[in-house]
Amino acid sequence: MDALLLSQYVLSGVVIGMIYSLMALGITFIYSIMKMINWGMGEFYMIGSYVQYALIVSLVGPGRWYLALPLAMGAVFVLGLVVQRFLLRPMFVGGIERRDEYATIITIALMVFFRNLAIVLGGPNQYAPPDYARPVTLGTLPISGNRFVALLATLVLLGLFYLVIKKTWVGRALRGAAQNRVGIQTAGIDVLRLDMLAFGGGVALAAAAGALLAPDFLVYPENGAISTFKGFEIIVIGGLGSILGSVVGGVLLGVIEALGSVFVSAAYKDLYGFLLLIALLVFRPTGLFGERERSV
Amino acid sequence: MIERARVALLAALLVVGLTVPALAQKPVKIGVLTPLSPPGDAAAGQFIVRGAKMGADDVNARGGVLGGRKIELVVEDDSGTPEKGAAGFRKLATQDQAVAVVGQFHSSVMTAVQALAEDFKVPVFSTQASARQITEKHLNYTFRTHVIDPDRCQMWTRWVKERGFKRAALITENTDFGVGLVDETKKAFASLYPGAELKTIIFDRAVVDLTPQLLEIKNWKPDVLLNGGIGTPMYLIAKQAYDIGLTPAVPTLISYDAPARPEYWKNLGEKGNWASFIVYYHPTMKLTPRGEAFRKKYMAEFKEDPIYGALNGYSQVVLLADALNASKSDKIDDLLKALLAGKFEGWNGTISFTRGEGPYWQQWTPPMLVTQYTKPEMPFADVKIVYPTDLKTGEWMPAPKR
Repeated sequence: MDALLLSQYVLSGVVIGMIYSLMALGITFIYSIMKMINWGMGEFYMIGSYVQYALIVSLVGPGRWYLALPLAMGAVFVLGLVVQRFLLRPMFVGGIERRDEYATIITIALMVFFRNLAIVLGGPNQYAPPDYARPVTLGTLPISGNRFVALLATLVLLGLFYLVIKKTWVGRALRGAAQNRVGIQTAGIDVLRLDMLAFGGGVALAAAAGALLAPDFLVYPENGAISTFKGFEIIVIGGLGSILGSVVGGVLLGVIEALGSVFVSAAYKDLYGFLLLIALLVFRPTGLFGERERSV
Repeated sequence: MIERARVALLAALLVVGLTVPALAQKPVKIGVLTPLSPPGDAAAGQFIVRGAKMGADDVNARGGVLGGRKIELVVEDDSGTPEKGAAGFRKLATQDQAVAVVGQFHSSVMTAVQALAEDFKVPVFSTQASARQITEKHLNYTFRTHVIDPDRCQMWTRWVKERGFKRAALITENTDFGVGLVDETKKAFASLYPGAELKTIIFDRAVVDLTPQLLEIKNWKPDVLLNGGIGTPMYLIAKQAYDIGLTPAVPTLISYDAPARPEYWKNLGEKGNWASFIVYYHPTMKLTPRGEAFRKKYMAEFKEDPIYGALNGYSQVVLLADALNASKSDKIDDLLKALLAGKFEGWNGTISFTRGEGPYWQQWTPPMLVTQYTKPEMPFADVKIVYPTDLKTGEWMPAPKR
């Protein structure tokens, strides 16, 4: 075994795992509050990448990608608010009995709609915003400057997310809603408004991943598919509903894929994460940090 | 009584008079089944449609076919997936009653629809699908006017040998094209360049992070990287190979003509420089009068040199019109006979469909050249042909050290 190659693979896995954990965090955040899975998460990633590209080439210019990032996140946040308000809110106020099925149908329909809308508006071709930074060497790993920037931005976003959740009144309310949606209403908190915030915030995290990875993974109508795929893998590994699990699951998935690439073959990189996922489903179905659902 | 008969006769004449010209003017439909949305190479499909439409316009401007009937194109998107391709072909063959279908780009889709072409007895043309098995099956309704992968792989093996590269790494996708590329390159290296080493990696076409695969290749220390991605994967390989420092220090050869398209530089910027790539058309080529007329019209309309896919799409529609006229019928059996018997003016030569050995069955092959970009944003018209030796217009150049 080549130690240099091993270190490069592990570093590469950690970097990409951290970035994908933004997707997982978005999925798990929405689930925690709204108790629903957003199957169209990849399309918000895709929209984030398109908005970022459009802003860079037409408004802020190639050197100011860092201005485009919060704008792209903001635009997708607002889109998330609108989607939640008009398409998802009825499942809580409209007397819908089968909420899971309702949410699944709506979010899958959104996935198809946004993907086709991207083809109509932007054409089927791929685009790439200019690089955010020159290639760098991270330890032993020669890496794209874009990915290095994406790693740093991910760490900043994760830190901000942690601060908002742990140190603010809104964060406390969101944590309360995650624990008991009915209970928190007795304290006078409008849980439907929290749902809007949670959905908007969750999809904005996906948009951040899309915007950050746009120069490396390109901008095209189906670019969200693989990140959604990874996001769901990560939440199963880390545990659905666990914020820490999203980050640890992302890193672990990246490292497992890296080790498999070294010891078996890089050609089957995506298989190794699935093997871990299957093992966890057999031995610890709640994931590493997930909790067994309690009912009274 | 006589009066009644006269009225009936007049009515009959009126009906005949109204319907016969209508039947005579009924257009002849040709299907264009090609990738126009992801995950297919949608840019390629757009160029094919562009050429096919210009072909139909050209034929119609010259009076149409079969004594004045217009050619009508029916365009269907196969998305580069066999299931959508099969659905599109069924629609074209049954609902639209197309006499033939052109535009096939992805080998996996072509492989799926050619079985349907046999069932429905509708000729299908590969415009840019190159897998060996497509014509090797010796099917009656399958035609191709594009290169085949054994020829492509032999060519790049000879190029690798001429450059003196001893270790070649091929990275490609898990499609019929990619898997065929690996098989054919292994065979070509064994027969043409036995001393050289070849490393092959096949990845899933949906994967976007190819860093581990490319690191493995970099660690293997190849002399040349063969990029076998189609569409988005081709760009991902090029970008990520540059980012980890594999290219341009290690020269790269791209398996098809995507770098000739305008979006190449937009997507890759300086990372696309120093790439060599296989093309089937070069602006300095001598074309047939038909090809030259098309090039002029294309440049006047789109303000850029035509792309090979457009030339081939155009040629296929025009040769079908020639075959329809030669057969004097829109019956598919007659059209098939005319296709097999005729010689047709293509964009750069005379096309005929003989039934040869192996994959050379109802197959016509355009030229294949290796070209190279040597500065960022270089127009395709300025690229030098660096291989084969007898056609080259410039020397291949290694990239300066970064």
